[in-house]
Amino acid sequence: MSGGFKALVYNELIKTIRRPRSFIGFAVIFFVCILLQGAFYKDGKEILGFITQQVDTLFDVQGNAINGNLICFIILQSLIVQMPLLVALVTGDLISGETATGSVRFLLSRPAPRWQVVLAKWIAGMFYTSLLLIFLGVLALFGSHLIFGDGDLMYLNSEALTVIRANDMVWRWTGAFGIAFLSLSVVASLSTLLSAILDNSITPIVSVMAIIIIFTIIGMFDLPSFDPIKPFLFTTHMIAWRSFFEDPIPKGDIIFSAGVLLLHIIIFLGVSMYHYQRKDITA
Amino acid sequence: MIRTYLLTGILLFSGLIATAVDDPQALIRAVNKKFMLVADYKANVAMQFQLPGVKMDQLSGQVFYKRPDKFRIKAKGLFFMPKQNPMQQVGKLLQDTASYTAVISGYETVQGRRCAMVNIIPLRQDMDLILGKFWIDVQTPLIYKSQITSKNNGTIESESQFGDMAAYALPSSMTIRLEMNKIKMPKMMAADLNKKSSSKPATIGKEKGSITMRFSSYVLNSRFPDKVFTEAVPE
Repeated sequence: MSGGFKALVYNELIKTIRRPRSFIGFAVIFFVCILLQGAFYKDGKEILGFITQQVDTLFDVQGNAINGNLICFIILQSLIVQMPLLVALVTGDLISGETATGSVRFLLSRPAPRWQVVLAKWIAGMFYTSLLLIFLGVLALFGSHLIFGDGDLMYLNSEALTVIRANDMVWRWTGAFGIAFLSLSVVASLSTLLSAILDNSITPIVSVMAIIIIFTIIGMFDLPSFDPIKPFLFTTHMIAWRSFFEDPIPKGDIIFSAGVLLLHIIIFLGVSMYHYQRKDITA
Repeated sequence: MIRTYLLTGILLFSGLIATAVDDPQALIRAVNKKFMLVADYKANVAMQFQLPGVKMDQLSGQVFYKRPDKFRIKAKGLFFMPKQNPMQQVGKLLQDTASYTAVISGYETVQGRRCAMVNIIPLRQDMDLILGKFWIDVQTPLIYKSQITSKNNGTIESESQFGDMAAYALPSSMTIRLEMNKIKMPKMMAADLNKKSSSKPATIGKEKGSITMRFSSYVLNSRFPDKVFTEAVPE
């Protein structure tokens, strides 16, 4: 990495951290985590009743079911839908924001090629995304363990109720957060691409959310007409983190999803750099 | 003359055996006598779960019992126990001999042993029990199999195997069998957006499941404190 590029990345990191909107994501995560943890602390038994209602008549569920692992799982499941918005809020403005304010002229007057400017901004976006996810991990996983204690995870999907033992959780959480990072990186890369194409700040952010909503709706319906499209939608693979809590773990599916997400990142970033290198800057 | 005495003796003896075997009350009294030897026990237990729609690894813990019906399994982890647990209920149920009438409905071989099928019919309408069926070995006498049908919990079957604690009617392993609806949740509610709906037709009605408990290291009549039935298990 050349000294000039390093300085460019450092500059972008500083800019990203100093922007007030970067803190919105952290504030939202903090607020949602505290809100959910407080609610589960008070009404945890009702939530448990929802999960165990199908076995309640026949069995007594014994053990600490409302524990840190379950609460973190629920928080992650709830927040993973909103996280793309928090990521796009910052990354969608990285390039277009410069165009909108006119600072792009100053930025591009530096000797670094434009694709390096895009790459530096993308790295800053990735850094922000990882910080956001680490913050979520600390609050949701460690915070919930602190409040609710450790215990087995009771995971309910459409096929079965799976109980995962507490001593089998660390690597599953590592994998789940890894896939969550890849998923959010796709969102960050897509918003970087839109930010490179469009010249105002709001449109890339709104467009990313619109794309995610449309793709999610297509994925929700089990209709044969949607089946050929689904594997190509990145939203289909964004929830692959949940597969780490299945028994047995669908390794093939997870690797495929990780591959698809990675491919999306490469394509979005590649197209962003290519497009911006040739873009006619008129601002 | 000697032959006549011998023949009469044999006939009388076999008559006595036949009376004991055919008399459900005598069999239950013999079972209860064994239960009465144990005021409390604790043991190690390893549980295996095979329930439809439930994936749960084996779990080990400790089981505690105190007469008449205090029962608890303490284990570090989550597990399901039937609300109607034969380990907890059978002793108390059979000892209350005034609350039921017992009838032998036939004989069956269970685990290579000739067992009398003793039906327990409650005498009071307010009892949760509808019918209890016990397969009692006529020789030992031990309950090798039971089937308890109650108003609240349906029918639960159990089958026991006995080892070195057979003298106290304590099993070395017990399998509880029950019928339950397979746990399923709508795809959209479970947020399984990338899961395809199963092409197999959904099973209508109930499916069979079982919980197997293997016991070891029994400690009898140690008079442990009652707090073990209520205290929390540290995670």
